[in-house]
Amino acid sequence: MDSKKLIPRGKEQETAAQEGVQVHPLIAMQREMNRVFEDFSRGFDAWPLSERFGTFNPSMNVAETDASVQVTIELPGLDEKDIEVSLTKDSLTIRGEKKEEKAENTKSYSHLERTYGSFSRTIPLPCEVNEDKVNASFKRGILTVTLPKSGQALQETKKIPVRPA
Amino acid sequence: MTDTAKEMQKKEAATPEGVERTRPEKVYMPAVDIMEKKDEIVVTADMPGVDERSMDITLEKNILTIYGKVDTEVPKGHRLVYAEYGIGDYARTFTLSEEVDRDRIQATMKNGVLRLVLPKAAAARTRKIEVKAEA
Repeated sequence: MDSKKLIPRGKEQETAAQEGVQVHPLIAMQREMNRVFEDFSRGFDAWPLSERFGTFNPSMNVAETDASVQVTIELPGLDEKDIEVSLTKDSLTIRGEKKEEKAENTKSYSHLERTYGSFSRTIPLPCEVNEDKVNASFKRGILTVTLPKSGQALQETKKIPVRPA
Repeated sequence: MTDTAKEMQKKEAATPEGVERTRPEKVYMPAVDIMEKKDEIVVTADMPGVDERSMDITLEKNILTIYGKVDTEVPKGHRLVYAEYGIGDYARTFTLSEEVDRDRIQATMKNGVLRLVLPKAAAARTRKIEVKAEA
């Protein structure tokens, strides 16, 4: 029996063989670093600012009836006085800031999922609204803005009957 | 907005395996902050649409479950034309360590945020030991 076959192949021999193919580890590292930086800077313009840094970005729903438009937005942890609602002719803007609890001076978070910061959201209005009758209420962390459609907008909607040909 | 970003805002709660829901509404996992202080652990959870009456907190052995019921917010006659957030209840469970004093857990609810204060048991509290100079 050939005793040499039982002995594992020398390590030195193996690495020497591989080195011929592989690039120098330092160069490989530099390439890797370049790739990481490229990905990072590419990511910068691919994402909107607010999502990148995990700041507060509330979600809203819009519901509609024949007579009014209702906008609801999730604002947990805000007070009525932290919220600013403004209306222009064709858009509704909701601004505010979700403040972090500042009372504790010795805070150490072991887990952080909620987001904080100021936000501003503007939505275009689907139709003309009666500005004087817009109503905003805040309850259980949800802001509800009800915008009654203006008389003109109501009249403009015309039902068209579909007849068989 | 990307799907991943949306997921980060409102995640659907995972159902325990082999369990079927008996209610048609979706259940979401609220975003939670856990803050450790000297004598207590404070847990805050964002649960918009939940108030103190619709909040249900149970403690079974060392499993603390919070469940917030949300009334369907879209009023009758309204049709949803644009939706960023899903409407549904909130649920999340926590495993408490031995150091929490179970009898003194407090929960408050304000503006859709639940605040749970879990006091540390006397044995688990950090104590400062004074060092005296030897005479």
